[in-house]
Amino acid sequence: MAIVNLQNVTYQYPLTDTPALQNINLQVNEGEFVAVIGPNGAGKSTLCYTLAGFVPHFFKGELTGVVEVVGVESHNSSLSEWVLNVGLAFQNPFNQISGAKYTVFEELAFGLENIGIPREEMKTRVEEAMELTGIGDLADRSPYSLSGGQQQRVALASILVMQPKVLVLDEPTSQMDPIGTREVFGVIRKMTERGMTVILAEHKVEWIAQFADRVVALYEGQILTAGKPREVLTSDLVIDKGFGVSRYTSVARKARKQGLWSGSKQLPVTLDEAIEGFGK
Amino acid sequence: MEVISQNIVYFIIAIAILVLLLVWAYVTRRMQKDFTTVTWVLIPVAIAINGVIGYIVGQLKLPVFLDSIGTVLVAALCGPWAGALTGALSNFVIGMLTNPTDWWPWIPVAFFIGLVAGLCANAGLFKSWWKVVVTGFLVALTAAIVSTPIAVYFFGGITSSGSSFITAYLLQTGRDIVGAVFSTNFLVEPIDKISTAMLAFAIVQGLSKRFLARFPRAENVQTEGGASRTQLFIAIGVVVLLILLAVFVVSRITGG
Amino acid sequence: MHDRLSFYYYRDSLLHRLNPLTKIALVFGLILVSFVSPYYWTSHLLVLVVIIPLIFVGRIGREYLNAALRIILPATAFLFVMQALFQPLEGEELFRLWFLHPTLESTLFAFRNAARVFAIASSFTIFLLTTHPRELMTDLTRRGMPPQIAYVIISTLQILPQMQAKAQTILAAQHSRGMDTQSTFLKRVGSLVPLVGPLVFGSLVEVEERAIAIEARGFTSSHVKTSLYDIPDTALDRALRWIFMGLAILSMALRIWLS
Repeated sequence: MAIVNLQNVTYQYPLTDTPALQNINLQVNEGEFVAVIGPNGAGKSTLCYTLAGFVPHFFKGELTGVVEVVGVESHNSSLSEWVLNVGLAFQNPFNQISGAKYTVFEELAFGLENIGIPREEMKTRVEEAMELTGIGDLADRSPYSLSGGQQQRVALASILVMQPKVLVLDEPTSQMDPIGTREVFGVIRKMTERGMTVILAEHKVEWIAQFADRVVALYEGQILTAGKPREVLTSDLVIDKGFGVSRYTSVARKARKQGLWSGSKQLPVTLDEAIEGFGK
Repeated sequence: MEVISQNIVYFIIAIAILVLLLVWAYVTRRMQKDFTTVTWVLIPVAIAINGVIGYIVGQLKLPVFLDSIGTVLVAALCGPWAGALTGALSNFVIGMLTNPTDWWPWIPVAFFIGLVAGLCANAGLFKSWWKVVVTGFLVALTAAIVSTPIAVYFFGGITSSGSSFITAYLLQTGRDIVGAVFSTNFLVEPIDKISTAMLAFAIVQGLSKRFLARFPRAENVQTEGGASRTQLFIAIGVVVLLILLAVFVVSRITGG
Repeated sequence: MHDRLSFYYYRDSLLHRLNPLTKIALVFGLILVSFVSPYYWTSHLLVLVVIIPLIFVGRIGREYLNAALRIILPATAFLFVMQALFQPLEGEELFRLWFLHPTLESTLFAFRNAARVFAIASSFTIFLLTTHPRELMTDLTRRGMPPQIAYVIISTLQILPQMQAKAQTILAAQHSRGMDTQSTFLKRVGSLVPLVGPLVFGSLVEVEERAIAIEARGFTSSHVKTSLYDIPDTALDRALRWIFMGLAILSMALRIWLS
């Protein structure tokens, strides 16, 4: 049984002319790590909001089709119940700081206070989440005094502390410097290794190629193609539309046209594959 | 103070009406609908805007306050009760961070600024420039009325703002306290509050429709036929008229 | 404006350990007594007998003095002067200067009012100096205040200084360019708008995402909320609150009895 089940999902924001998502069909099994790629405006954020319940409960608008997580349908649930199953983190780390708490420890406990978790369990969960995200030494600092990467890890920890079944991440490294990016990816990897179901919208395809179980390519609100990372990231469908291409893939593609890369060989996505491929 | 005991009846009636209104809004769930998550997140930002613009204006040594722009903004987008709460909390917190004696006595005034601005917006008076001027004027009227008894009771008519020198002068020329304070407020308030309302309206104009749709009272700010230049000029004309009216009324009070 | 997040200073004192509600009761009791008491010298007495000792108990002498000298005293002094000079109370004139003719009555009136404002402002200051906002909010929420109000107050306390700092930067840039002394008023305002505009709009567009973020953390959950901190409410607290209430009632009774 898929833990996430989207069937024929179509959604249009209020006051807009065209649907942001059209006929989305997506099933995700428990423990899978699915990456979503696509150009800006393709619907990645809308898809993330739909999975997290904010479409339609927060954004209103028309949502048709089935949106099911852990067997519960989006229409039948309130947003406050839905967020217990699906955690959401997004691009801007600063905007994810609640503002209601003075230290990182309190910030992490904020969600747990809201859902009525007893004090002792609160402290245990917070400490676990801090360990997972490597922010233990930041516990007494104000969230506002942290770097972008640190803030984003705090945001992730604040969601992880709620123990969701599914983690949805909308371009969490877009506003990070390389160090911050590495820190955030490190946390995501750890979560996937622990069996968390993760859906990640991202541009950084080299990393996705290495660690994702599946890649879904969105274009203009529809699924262009989906499948194993190698297949999707080197497929002509995706490359022709001009997104989701790693540098190594483009170089090898050009090389192939010049006869410097054997036509039958799989295009590389990562540096190692490129080195290996060119080396022969 | 005899002045207070004379007017205490009006005071009690006003409070009673307010409490009734509040209970009605709560019981009929009108109030709750205005307080969405977005409302709760907007209020601190609005209070910060109050503080920042008020501070900058203070540094520029202008004869206005402009410290309620955020309050009016919340009132327009989230209704009268959210606006009232914003005003009250704004004065409370800014007073806490700077000087309580300057801000806390005026919490009821700020409360009513938000309340009246919200009621005007609900009545459709936030949809074009000249309507916003009317809102500003009504808010100024309310502010003058509510701040007078506070100024008289707490400070004997004197506050630590510039307008109190005017009050002092009027007092010495033999006017009764309440009249003196009221006349002062009638000079300063319209300019301040009309500008406040217009600036809040300008801010709303600068926000995208998509963003505005998030707020519970988004329909209050759906401009009719666009906020055009001519409407702005009409509005300025109305402002001039209203200021002339205020000056006329004050001169009648002090002369008569 | 203060560039600290709150008035609060940490000290190991009895006052700091008291429950916030007890301290609120003290402040309100003091306000009530100073307004209701029929005796002229009540506020002065309160300052000597209540405020001063509390400063020592709370070990906040220096901070209180700082606040008193910078804020309370100037405001109170201004009030005193204005009321003494302008309150229209008939009586023996003290002197005549231009249109100023203060009387003995108005001076005494002003003195009483000034002391009252001083006492009240001091008690608030002491309260703020010894109570951390999170303590106050946690306790009030436990006693039934809607948690959204607590959210708004603390969020404002954190966001306001941030915006304030940005505004300072804008004004400082103006100052360094000499705009506040050399330019015309209109030019000054004109150069401020393109800076203050983004500040205002920037802070507004954040609202949407922040609302999503706190929703994702159960802000609108209907569960009964719990709290990370436990704010103690001891027998001493309860006893003190009864005492304050008793004193306030006593002064009201005194007023009625004497009139």
